Amino acid sequence: MTLQLQAPSFAASLSSFVSPLNRSTRRPVIRAKAEPSDKSVEIMRKFSEQYARKSGTYFCVDKGVTSVVIKGLADHKDSLGAPLCPCRHYDDKPAEAGQGFWNCPCVPMRERKECHCMLFLTPDNDFAGPEQAISLEEIRESTANM
Amino acid sequence: MAVSVTASTILSLSSDRTTRLAAAAASSSSSSCSKLSSSTSLRFPAQLRRVRIGTQDSRPRLLPPVEAKKQTFSSFQDLLATSEKPVLVDFYATWCGPCQFMAPILNEVSITLNDKIQVVKIDTEKYPSIADKYNIQALPTFIIFKDGEPFDRFEGAMTADQLVERIETTLKVK
Repeated sequence: MTLQLQAPSFAASLSSFVSPLNRSTRRPVIRAKAEPSDKSVEIMRKFSEQYARKSGTYFCVDKGVTSVVIKGLADHKDSLGAPLCPCRHYDDKPAEAGQGFWNCPCVPMRERKECHCMLFLTPDNDFAGPEQAISLEEIRESTANM
Repeated sequence: MAVSVTASTILSLSSDRTTRLAAAAASSSSSSCSKLSSSTSLRFPAQLRRVRIGTQDSRPRLLPPVEAKKQTFSSFQDLLATSEKPVLVDFYATWCGPCQFMAPILNEVSITLNDKIQVVKIDTEKYPSIADKYNIQALPTFIIFKDGEPFDRFEGAMTADQLVERIETTLKVK
């Protein structure tokens, strides 16, 4: 076993912190994970707003959660062609995307308004905020350091 | 089977992300050895380095760099076997909103319950075999391992207080 000094970074900050890099000492780092395309993010953002209104649900008080999920949906839309739920682990993602149960809006959401991603929250939920809208700017800011 | 796990539960204010990414890249390309890392207690070095963090009002903040202990294990099983304390494992994914929501909460809880439990995070997209082994479906899923075996299991995001209560209640049972 070797002991190494680790300098882990904060996986994602849902606060208002933006990239802290000091220009004189660091360069921008390479992202380990590919970002979803802007087009897909915009599509999923619009979808989320519309579906929240339609279903009478609200976004999380912490819009960072909303942002991450929207990006996750966009990422799956890019890679699989369908917005597979990003808050699940799958044996075979393409098969699941083809099957459709977990494509957003998933069956539990459509039938029972259950969204464990915390994207669409019923008003009685502790984490539900007052909003059914989110801007591209909000999404960018919340996920800037991911 | 090449399995590697990156686990980090400690908020580090060092901005050297390349180290972590390099380590992750190195471990994922290794075919013979699986590496896991876990973080233990926070240590505050004597010297505090001034780190500028951009906030909405751009005040310079003084924040201490944190040393997280990274250990290399030959497998996840090895990590479980050599841990003296029960292990809380967080199965997560990068683009899972509630998982990211839990990240700072896990940091807080690992400090609060430092001597009672060890916190480990596993990226289910990087290490799907471990996630499959424990039948992970919804994310985040938390499993508390005791003596190397799953002892308690629960899903979903929660507040720090709720998580602490759940851990303490579970560990009191035995």
